[in-house]
Amino acid sequence: MDYVILSVTLLSIGVYGLLTRRNLLKMLVSVELIATAASMNFVLLTPSLNRALGETLLILAFSTDTCVTAVVLGVLVVVSREYETCDIGKLTELEGKDDGKKAKGDR
Amino acid sequence: MISELLAVVLVVSACLAVYLDEAIYSVASLACVFTLTAILYASAGAIFVAVFQLAVGAGTLAVLFLSAEMLSEKTSRRKTLRSVLPVVAVASLLSLPSVFLSVEVAPANVSSGVSFGQALWDLRAVDVVLQGLVMVTVAVGTAIVLHKREEGEG
Repeated sequence: MDYVILSVTLLSIGVYGLLTRRNLLKMLVSVELIATAASMNFVLLTPSLNRALGETLLILAFSTDTCVTAVVLGVLVVVSREYETCDIGKLTELEGKDDGKKAKGDR
Repeated sequence: MISELLAVVLVVSACLAVYLDEAIYSVASLACVFTLTAILYASAGAIFVAVFQLAVGAGTLAVLFLSAEMLSEKTSRRKTLRSVLPVVAVASLLSLPSVFLSVEVAPANVSSGVSFGQALWDLRAVDVVLQGLVMVTVAVGTAIVLHKREEGEG
């Protein structure tokens, strides 16, 4: 079995999900898949390099990934409370309306 | 044989995580992906990373489950088993290249006489400290964003 091809397959599924899904939570799931694919390369290519160093870098990458997830989830909660939807299409539609409301409020 | 089977189930779970409409089922599939990845890491000899993957995955998934429950819109349309089966078949086909093909990776001339502890605390100590700072900043920033939002509502 080849882990590099498995990693590429996971990456492709993640990119497909990121491009086709409209729900922000599903997009986050796709990003997690992409991160998993990237970290799989770290682990499975490190025997040809220095395993300990590779694992260390991977643990640092995991931490960064978790931070990104935390921030995105925080933003997601705020956005869903503000606009009462997680659909990115609806949010894009709301963007112009929100600007219009703000402009009226300024007047 | 077991790792090939794990790879097939991993790709099927990843496809279901993207395909399923219900956020809870999607996150459950992602949990399956994380668990299988950790098992693959352990079978590849990377025990530290497998444990870390499980720990981080558990935390991430707990938060994702809560968010999915809180934020998902209740929709009446659900995927039936009949609509899921083609996706499982396609995902199984997608996993076949990773089972049957192989890519040659050229070995690099890097000395491997460094232990995990040495690599983490001697070679990458600055990175570890900076990661800690980044995490604290992220935690405080997220708390501030949510707190300001609550103040705005109140």
